[in-house]
Amino acid sequence: MTELPVGAFKLLLSLITGVVAAVWAIHDLVLIARLRGAERRDPLVRDQRFGYAMGIVIGVIGIVGTLRFNGVL
Amino acid sequence: MAATAMMTGAPTAHRPRTVSRMNPANAVTASRFLTLPLLWWAIVHGHHQYATLFILVCGLLDKLDGLVARIFDCRSAFGELFDAITDGICYGVGLILVAAYGWAPVVPVVFVLGLGALNTGLRFVYIRRAGRAINYKSYAMERIVAYTGYLIGFATAGMQVAYFYWAFVPTMLVVVLHDAKRMLIDPVPATVPATVPAAGDPARAYS
Repeated sequence: MTELPVGAFKLLLSLITGVVAAVWAIHDLVLIARLRGAERRDPLVRDQRFGYAMGIVIGVIGIVGTLRFNGVL
Repeated sequence: MAATAMMTGAPTAHRPRTVSRMNPANAVTASRFLTLPLLWWAIVHGHHQYATLFILVCGLLDKLDGLVARIFDCRSAFGELFDAITDGICYGVGLILVAAYGWAPVVPVVFVLGLGALNTGLRFVYIRRAGRAINYKSYAMERIVAYTGYLIGFATAGMQVAYFYWAFVPTMLVVVLHDAKRMLIDPVPATVPATVPAAGDPARAYS
């Protein structure tokens, strides 16, 4: 069974993690920005706001992890 | 008949659409279980790349079932619950496997599994409070579940394992505490809310 060379596998992992994490963080940032005018007392809006904030946190964790994986941090 | 009712102004009877449990979306969800023995085989034989591939397929199928449900218009409350249960089993077994074979640190895995079990228990309490089969919709937990899939991939690929696992524990703890408050204290909605996640939400699970 053929496996990828280590360098290619590392690059693939970096893309799958880093790019997805960055897109995810930006996407949730946009979504949370869109909620600025929404009713703050609405439980659904509060839940969405919290969820998107956690999405941004997870995205940042993914970006930092990818940078560490590649020896940047 | 409906047209007549509209013309006459008479109220029309709205019957909820019945969706069979044997539908394409649930079939895709169930197919995720097939990746578990393959994952186990890859871990036992030390095939890191294959193990990563199988958990990636499991994660992609999780996204695909939502797409299939929308295409075939077969969303249901059962499908939501089945998807959540499948997430719990697949990712729970995956985490146990990587920890058992020394590919991931045991302590954070125990924390994650414990918090996951707590969250599942709270969902049953929420169902009892609501008095009907209802899946608690949590935007934050959807993201945590997606991260859990990645966690197994980090372990199989040997990618910054300690960093990702230890960063996950406080993140999940905050989300579980938030959801516990929502499920135990906040009032249960009188009717099932129409889940209208933002279009293109990358972490949106089958709902």
